Amino acid sequence: MIVNIGIELAKVLAVLIGVLNLAAILTWMERKQSAVMQDRIGANRASIFGFRMFGLFQVLADGLKMFVKEDFIPAQGHRFLHGLAPFVAAFFALIGFAAIPFGDTIHLFGREIPLQIIDLNVGILYIFAAMSLGIYGVVLAGWASNNNYAFLGGMRGSSQMFSYEVTIGATILGVLMIFESMSLQQIVRAQGQLLWGIVPKWGVIVQPLGCILFLVAGIAETKRVPFDLPEGESEIIGFFVEYSSMKFGLFMLTDFVETVLIAALVTTLFFGGWQVPYLMADGWHLPGGTLLAWPQWLVAITQVIAYAIKVFFFCWFMLLVRWTLPRFRYDQLMRLGWQMIFPLSILNLLATAVVILLLN
Amino acid sequence: MPTVTINQKSLTVPEGTTIIQAAEQLNIEIPRYCYHPGLSIAGSCRMCLVEIEKMPKLQPACNTRVTDGMVVTTQSPKVKEAVSGVLEFLLINHPLDCPVCDQAGECYLQEYYMKFGLHDSRMNENKIKRHKAEVIGPHVILDTERCVLCSRCVRFVREVSRSHEIGIFNRGGQSEIRLLPDQVLDNNYSGNVVDICPVGALTDRDFRFQCRVWYLSKADSVCNGCSRGCNITVEANRQRAHHGEGRRVMRLKPRFNKEVNRWWICDIGRYGYKFIDDPSRLIQPLEKQGDELEPLDWSTAAERAVGRIREAKQRGGAGSIVIVASPQLTNEDLFVTRKFFGVDLGIDQIDFRIPDKNTLSDDDFLLRADRNPNTRGAEAILLDGGGFDLQRIIESASTQSFGLLYLCEQDLVKKLGSEPARRFLGQFDYVIYQGSNENETSGLANLVLPAATYAEVNGTFTNFEGRVQRIHAGIEPLGDSLPAWRVICKLAQTAGFDYGYESAAEVFVELAQTVTEFEGLSYEKIGSEGMKLPETQPVPA
Amino acid sequence: MNRRDLNFAERLYLSEVFKGLWLTSGHFFSNMKKHLARQLGFTRIEKGAVTFQYPEERRPFSPRYRSRHRLTQREDGSPRCVACMMCETACPARCIYIVAGEHPDPNIEKYPARFDIDLGVCVFCGFCVEACPEDAIRMDTGIVEIAAYSRKEMIYHIEDLLQ
Repeated sequence: MIVNIGIELAKVLAVLIGVLNLAAILTWMERKQSAVMQDRIGANRASIFGFRMFGLFQVLADGLKMFVKEDFIPAQGHRFLHGLAPFVAAFFALIGFAAIPFGDTIHLFGREIPLQIIDLNVGILYIFAAMSLGIYGVVLAGWASNNNYAFLGGMRGSSQMFSYEVTIGATILGVLMIFESMSLQQIVRAQGQLLWGIVPKWGVIVQPLGCILFLVAGIAETKRVPFDLPEGESEIIGFFVEYSSMKFGLFMLTDFVETVLIAALVTTLFFGGWQVPYLMADGWHLPGGTLLAWPQWLVAITQVIAYAIKVFFFCWFMLLVRWTLPRFRYDQLMRLGWQMIFPLSILNLLATAVVILLLN
Repeated sequence: MPTVTINQKSLTVPEGTTIIQAAEQLNIEIPRYCYHPGLSIAGSCRMCLVEIEKMPKLQPACNTRVTDGMVVTTQSPKVKEAVSGVLEFLLINHPLDCPVCDQAGECYLQEYYMKFGLHDSRMNENKIKRHKAEVIGPHVILDTERCVLCSRCVRFVREVSRSHEIGIFNRGGQSEIRLLPDQVLDNNYSGNVVDICPVGALTDRDFRFQCRVWYLSKADSVCNGCSRGCNITVEANRQRAHHGEGRRVMRLKPRFNKEVNRWWICDIGRYGYKFIDDPSRLIQPLEKQGDELEPLDWSTAAERAVGRIREAKQRGGAGSIVIVASPQLTNEDLFVTRKFFGVDLGIDQIDFRIPDKNTLSDDDFLLRADRNPNTRGAEAILLDGGGFDLQRIIESASTQSFGLLYLCEQDLVKKLGSEPARRFLGQFDYVIYQGSNENETSGLANLVLPAATYAEVNGTFTNFEGRVQRIHAGIEPLGDSLPAWRVICKLAQTAGFDYGYESAAEVFVELAQTVTEFEGLSYEKIGSEGMKLPETQPVPA
Repeated sequence: MNRRDLNFAERLYLSEVFKGLWLTSGHFFSNMKKHLARQLGFTRIEKGAVTFQYPEERRPFSPRYRSRHRLTQREDGSPRCVACMMCETACPARCIYIVAGEHPDPNIEKYPARFDIDLGVCVFCGFCVEACPEDAIRMDTGIVEIAAYSRKEMIYHIEDLLQ
């Protein structure tokens, strides 16, 4: 019993630490990647005893700075909600990870340990709910600041996330119809099959349009460029205009955690999760029928690493998008959401249904 | 009456007119250094050479008289070459120290070089070195290197000031301007040689290195130094406060007026502007608290003054109040003074004549013994009722006591002497002083109201001949000071009389309607040269 | 300006997005390659960034570059300036304050008793240098780090400018 609790705690800690560290590293990546894309060098001055580590210490310096800055609460703001908002935002972004499988079951010391914190049979709905509740952080921040710009940012945030969640829901439906499960672990397992014996049955293969739509809507969910209207740094500053110190830091961290979450979801739903093509529980099943036997623990670890690489790639990709595209205008954002992406996702749903009907 | 054609333009001029004068009437510019309309003709600089039809050689325009049918060209290639050559000769030994020269910017070597010269120097020899920065009088400094030997200054001291301090010494290339033995250029008109010097040879010690001439803004005005009313230009540096120790008015220059001062002005007037930016200027109303004068704001000061006037009037009647105006004030100031105190408050004890213990005298040229610019105007405006005799009160040293004295711009201590002035002021319970500068008299007042100086106001002065002449504000009133008529208007408004004057011009319109002697005058008619008061019509019996 | 209407593919936006991503990721990968190569010791490979690491690396100034002013000196170390006010007059920012004084040598005659430049106001246009008839002011010091804790300290006096 105690061992079981220990194992569960270890998994929670591993995911939490992994996600938070990745989010922190993303702040560094954001600077460095944008610099490299723009023929610059990027932040590289923060050092410890002269060691610069390519500016990695900048992350620590930023964190330290956030902690020691003045925590400012607007005089006319709602003190309690103002303090609560960043925690709401960060909390709901973080709990989503509980239902995401980061590996297959591993056999250690005679135990079978699923590499997932909790395998909910409605995992997708759970994550979807957590993401939707994350809006409250934004709206509360905007409202509790008693600042017109912050409120405007909060309003923009809520309507934007509401609009794009419709699309997310519709695209997820397509995935559900194909893999016939709401459990994310089941969806990932289903993606281990091969189509015609060669092509992995990943979501992106069977739902290419759904994948693109989900990615677009997912980026919109993270409220980052080109969908950063709730922030709109050059115009309204956004819902956290009245936030400083680590409360602001939490909002920023939430942005990156959401990036990781979307990356993890894209990986899980469309890119096979922890699956490595042709790698089964007993080893490599190469096309043509040859079998390359591997011990189970090695397979499990390879899959975890593969999963991590995929997530990391999508984080990188989202940063690439963020530093390539300019911000939408608000009417463009709404038109894109309601007049293009949403109808397309419905079309995708219908097409999927027709194809499934015909194939069966 | 010969008719002359200059550059295809014809003109009929009186007999004896020279070409340069005729050209001036046609607005044709002929360069000149030695020619000055106020001096005899020297014909020495050769800059004014012109081509005359049927004359084989070029002729100087300054001493060639016009004959009938004469055809003159000032623009022909021959003339241009000659003028350029003359200029090149004049510049041979010129030190080209324009950066240090105060004349730069109003120097005729610079102007004519840009207009008629523009040649490259062909001078390979070393330039002759001469005396530089030599002080030749209390106001004038001489630089012989820059001199073009036009002899204007020499002719001036011979013909205008008749003081004969300087001359041209030595011959040929060695010629230079020097002081005569045992002489100093210290006559009262010495500043004029600086004005007439076309180059930077004679410069003003007072203005030396104070400010560059192109920083100066100019306003036409009239000298307040004596009752001659010489026309002047107030030249002020209004934007670069670090020059001249923060002074705004940098210099006064005479302005040509054929009827008054022609081109000249005396040194007393020329250097009499220092009080305008003096630290002694009153820049805010002051009230005596114990022994000290403490500052207060205008509305409080006006209320205090009006309150005291009313109180004195209630207690002793209008006869207990004496108004002493000043011949330093403009006609407009005096008119508003009369209107408020005389008409609206019914005080008839208004005068401006304070006997001066310092006896001053005329000189034989411009300077007048009466060192006030507007005595004639004050007589016309304040004394047309006649009656009150201030002099009697002052001289009789009576023990009669009065309620209030309103004293404008008169330093009684200086004029009467300390003892009589204190005795006179002691006859009053309350003394209000209105003036531009702090002095011993203002120190004895109970309330001091700051007034602007003549360089800061628009208005008119009437000179001793009855010529009414315009003055224009060259600078803003310093600090909180106000033009005297505005001070009185403020008091009047506080007392409940709103005159509604927006400008001195509006005051003058009413002045011309009210005061008989000024009848029919207006700023337009006065113009830039002034206008004499119309002959007063004898009152029909 | 005449804008071209977007064609259908462009209006779909997606293809244009990928074109943009292709460009930026192209920069990313080629620069990463160069960075990595240099980190591995191939120093002859071209740099992956155009950045100058400012305090340590300095970009060479062109000879015409206008940096902080200086007043040139006569052989005896006194300023060549004769306080002619040409620079003060030419200055569009009005940041030059000169007060002239009487020099004991009549051949010099005039010297700047005060020569202040308010570098907080200066626009570094170089008109003062152009206007100077004595070559007394130049902007060739190469000093560009001009900072102070107060506006007053931004005013450079004649002693500072002579160095």
